[in-house]
Amino acid sequence: MNSGRYPSAVRADRVTPGSQTSLREANRARIVSAVQQRGSLTQVELAGVTGLSPATVSNIVKELTGAGVLHTSPSTRSGRRALQVTLARTLGLVAGVHFGTRSLRVALADASMRVLADQRMPLAPDHRADTGLQRAALLVAEMVASLDAAPGELLGVGVGVPAPVDVRAGRISTVGMMRGWDGVAVAEVLETELDAPVSVDNDANLGALAEARFGAAAGHDAAAYLRVSHGVGGGLVLGGRLVHGRGGVAGEIGHVTIDENGPICRCGNRGCLETFVGANVLLGMLSESRGHLTLRDVIARAREGDPGCRRVLFDAGQHLAWRPPTCATSSTRRSWWSAASSPRPGRSSSARSARSSSSGPSPARRARSRSWRPSWARPRRSAAPSPSRSTRPASAGRWG
Amino acid sequence: MTGVPDQPVLAVRGVSKSFGGVRALVDVDVDVHEHEVLAVVGDNGAGKSTLAGILAGAFRPDEGQLLLDGAPVALDSPKQAHALGIAAVFQDLALVDDLDVVENLFLGRETLQGPFLDEVSMEREAWTLLDQLAATVPSVRLPVQALSGGQRQVVAVARALLGEPRVIVLDEPTASLGVRQSAEVLNLIERLRERGHAVVLVSHQAGELQAVADRILVLRLGRVHGEFAGDASYEDLLAAMTGAVRPVRGEHDAVPRGARHAGGAGVVRR
Repeated sequence: MNSGRYPSAVRADRVTPGSQTSLREANRARIVSAVQQRGSLTQVELAGVTGLSPATVSNIVKELTGAGVLHTSPSTRSGRRALQVTLARTLGLVAGVHFGTRSLRVALADASMRVLADQRMPLAPDHRADTGLQRAALLVAEMVASLDAAPGELLGVGVGVPAPVDVRAGRISTVGMMRGWDGVAVAEVLETELDAPVSVDNDANLGALAEARFGAAAGHDAAAYLRVSHGVGGGLVLGGRLVHGRGGVAGEIGHVTIDENGPICRCGNRGCLETFVGANVLLGMLSESRGHLTLRDVIARAREGDPGCRRVLFDAGQHLAWRPPTCATSSTRRSWWSAASSPRPGRSSSARSARSSSSGPSPARRARSRSWRPSWARPRRSAAPSPSRSTRPASAGRWG
Repeated sequence: MTGVPDQPVLAVRGVSKSFGGVRALVDVDVDVHEHEVLAVVGDNGAGKSTLAGILAGAFRPDEGQLLLDGAPVALDSPKQAHALGIAAVFQDLALVDDLDVVENLFLGRETLQGPFLDEVSMEREAWTLLDQLAATVPSVRLPVQALSGGQRQVVAVARALLGEPRVIVLDEPTASLGVRQSAEVLNLIERLRERGHAVVLVSHQAGELQAVADRILVLRLGRVHGEFAGDASYEDLLAAMTGAVRPVRGEHDAVPRGARHAGGAGVVRR
């Protein structure tokens, strides 16, 4: 939701700083981002928010409406006539719903894939399917209404859940992955609530698809995507198509056994990767000495230099660094993307690929980039994701 | 950032409060830590709002005492509590509908420049506060009645935040809100926690509390009926709220330990 999404049609490529043109340019961007942030507001309110004069606002709104960026509709405010300003929508709306382990996120976009509204909501641990789905449906409906759109304008809904999904039936296929969600027909419930077609998939799969189509992996025909949040998920794209596998479990790296004598995982197997790097496990290791923390606290503290939190992330990174190759070596390995739950868990998927260090590296990479990392860990660094690298990482022997 | 093992900012020790014949609170002990959300949950008439009132200085306890940083304090009024760093937002929000956002925020403690109101600096500070809370208030010069429920809640919280209090008491902040606004308020609570405030969140909606709580205190008929970790199971909470289970050893000193343990291992029950 920043002015960076400001449509390029209106943006002049080069403007002299401080000139009249650059000022008008900045004002336009301000107005568009204000409308984007608040969904819908009147011209008078727009003037209040941006601090521009009503006349300037009126001019710019008129100009942007002409350019097809904004849409105006007459309304009333405190009994007076007013002009309600929204972002222009062509061809209706689509909604994306992401159920995380601890949060729900809903985003609305128009058919040109511009995000018009975005809302996050914290959820209880072990949140229930019935309340969760009802909330998501209400949230979508409220957000559609806040954009001044009719419910009929909703063209479709995509839902991501952190569990393997039987895509055809739109239900969660594996037992025990999300408590209380076993076998819930997510698509069916939301379809009746929202009266729009709903498709459901695993969140890491959707992340992989997003990166392969528009993100870091665009242009590669094979890509794997690692989602590290409260749990660990993975998605595989081959030849531009998602690989689901039987029961939707392909790429589910969080449940690859890394210790045959390890603890029993929620999936029923022993020693899964998640029993070493899952959020509960990490937080459990710290609770004795540091009390109740959230995943975000751990990451914030590690950044501040808390040695215990660093250690926990470092170890998690090591476990993670060991696993991806086992599932990557079987396919032609071209590129690896990881979306880490860094500043905000649940916000990872497509927008945050871990390529640039500023956009939230995975614990693995973060841990490895610490200055105190042991020497034996260094060679692996060369295997860090990079699209330009050849099909085999430099330290292939170790990885394979 | 401080962790739980530290000394509590605010502690309630053996507090009782009666209204006529009704014993609203009986011998209640509570600790409130910085950088933590303490949720207080209970049925109607469990004493939640009374406890909030006592923490915020609206009520004086009949018995027991409040410790601020380990030293006993007597809170005679919400204003005094605010001066000591404890701010509260009650269910009715106590906003003046006809005044605009800035006037509401600074009502009773206006910034002056000589004999005049310093509108400019007040407006600037209002925007700073609202931005910190990532509020979506269209204009600070709108009368409060023109705002939505969630926006009003944000204004009320912003007013409580003036003067950087250490403890913020929120009484039923999502009671009259829609889903989207509830989501805003829950995000807001997370942000307050991340800023290092101690948040006391009072509600009867266990599900919503669990989304943000670090610790959950269950009140029933004025008594502490268990203290749970934030990830305790919903069933355990409901059981404690409805009295289906009794506190393990009767008195609260023993209860928190036992109940917290049971809460943390709530999975065992299934």
